[in-house]
Amino acid sequence: MSNWTGVLELDMESRQGRTVAKNVYFQGAFKVMRPVYHNNYSYPCYYLLNPGGGYLDGDTYRMSVSLDEEAQLTLTTQSSTKVYKTPKSYVYQETEFHLKKNSYLEYLPDALIAYENAKYVQKNIVHMEKGATLLYSDIVTPGWSPEGKQFSYDTLRLKSEIYMDNELVAFDHIKLQPEQQHMTGLGFMEGYTHLGSFIVIGEKTNEALLDRLYEAIQEDSSDFAFGLSKLAVPGFTVRIMANRTQIIERIITTCHQIICDEWYQTKPSFLRKY
Amino acid sequence: MTDNALSLFQLCDSNFPTGSFSHSFGLETYIQKDIVQDPETFSEWLKVYLHEQLAYADGLAARLVYEALDQDDLEKIWELDRILTVQNLARESRDGTQRMGDRMLNIAESIYEIPILSTYRQRLRNKQSFGHSAIVFTMVGHYLQVEKETTILYYLYSTLVALVQNAVRAIPLGQTAGQKVIYSFQKELKQATDKIMHLDEMDFGVVSPGLELSQMQHERVGIRIFSS
Repeated sequence: MSNWTGVLELDMESRQGRTVAKNVYFQGAFKVMRPVYHNNYSYPCYYLLNPGGGYLDGDTYRMSVSLDEEAQLTLTTQSSTKVYKTPKSYVYQETEFHLKKNSYLEYLPDALIAYENAKYVQKNIVHMEKGATLLYSDIVTPGWSPEGKQFSYDTLRLKSEIYMDNELVAFDHIKLQPEQQHMTGLGFMEGYTHLGSFIVIGEKTNEALLDRLYEAIQEDSSDFAFGLSKLAVPGFTVRIMANRTQIIERIITTCHQIICDEWYQTKPSFLRKY
Repeated sequence: MTDNALSLFQLCDSNFPTGSFSHSFGLETYIQKDIVQDPETFSEWLKVYLHEQLAYADGLAARLVYEALDQDDLEKIWELDRILTVQNLARESRDGTQRMGDRMLNIAESIYEIPILSTYRQRLRNKQSFGHSAIVFTMVGHYLQVEKETTILYYLYSTLVALVQNAVRAIPLGQTAGQKVIYSFQKELKQATDKIMHLDEMDFGVVSPGLELSQMQHERVGIRIFSS
């Protein structure tokens, strides 16, 4: 365990309808701030932060979050995650979520910025029980490079495995290697630079929700491309390509609001960052 | 070509009724957007689809299934059936591969008496597995003792021929232009097979963002002659 650059464990439970932490542990270059109960919600929002300011050569991070039955949690970052050049070894981040029946997790981190020659590998493993709900997003963007290259990072590899009652129900694997791929070309990023994903698993997913999301996204007049599709279990993926982080964030926020409205008749809290 | 390879070649015929004629796997989205409109732009799409999606999914799965059959590791095959299905985040493409897998299994079962095919069928019936033509094809290739590499190459070829036939109808292209594309892809198919033979299992299921987007977007394109 002590070989990790940063470790974080967060275990949540529901006590008389209010979600509280039963274990918070962090070590090294990984931290959470004190929880915030936005709008007097019955569940907290935790902000993750990386005191080092960014991920460096060979860094390894491990996060493990568990939610007991009925527990609810919002998890986000305080700011974007920066991956700097990794001349020797790639940066690795591993995240495991365990969601018991009727628990609710929204994990909506800020964008990941990969700078020149950065190599980054991320692996997410979600174990959920039927009846649990997951909202997961990620955004990857290229960092500024001195030569003005659009894609100066070396490798971004993002892998997610989602299991429901111990069976694999969704698998996502993106690998971007600008040196070896025709990034701007057909089939790749097709003229865009930023890639966003929003994966939702929830039993209440239906066609009407997907139609509403599709129409709402289409109303946004900025320059982006997106796809929206149902998973093999109740749930869906939204994939977005754009040239600015804000556009992707706005689309994810729109989807988030619609889900909260359709499923819970609530408004999501604005995630204050500064 | 051995007699056995010839038998496997029957499964590569674009008339082999798996229903591949109704699936474009996102190609139709590019046609509707006028991005794919002639043999050159079609070849560009086909190259990316072959090397950046098919190789990492169907191709690598075919190799791993073949190896699992060698070791009689059936659990591994059912795992691959599942991951190969759920890695397809675009619903139409995912449903399409299931339907094609089911039909290929039907025909293969009616031609051959291979125990593993019956087991696969039973699992499909019990909803324990999804069904995928790459897996059925590999089971037949392995049974016929066609070499692993050849089995993969033929599978890729069968997919390619079906897609070219679809492009000929949809873009449209002349039949001769279609045949020229197939001929020009011989080198690409060998390259893809070579890459698959050397891929690490951790590379499974890599998908190229633009291709995937086009497969998701297909659900809502205006005029559709394909179901994916």
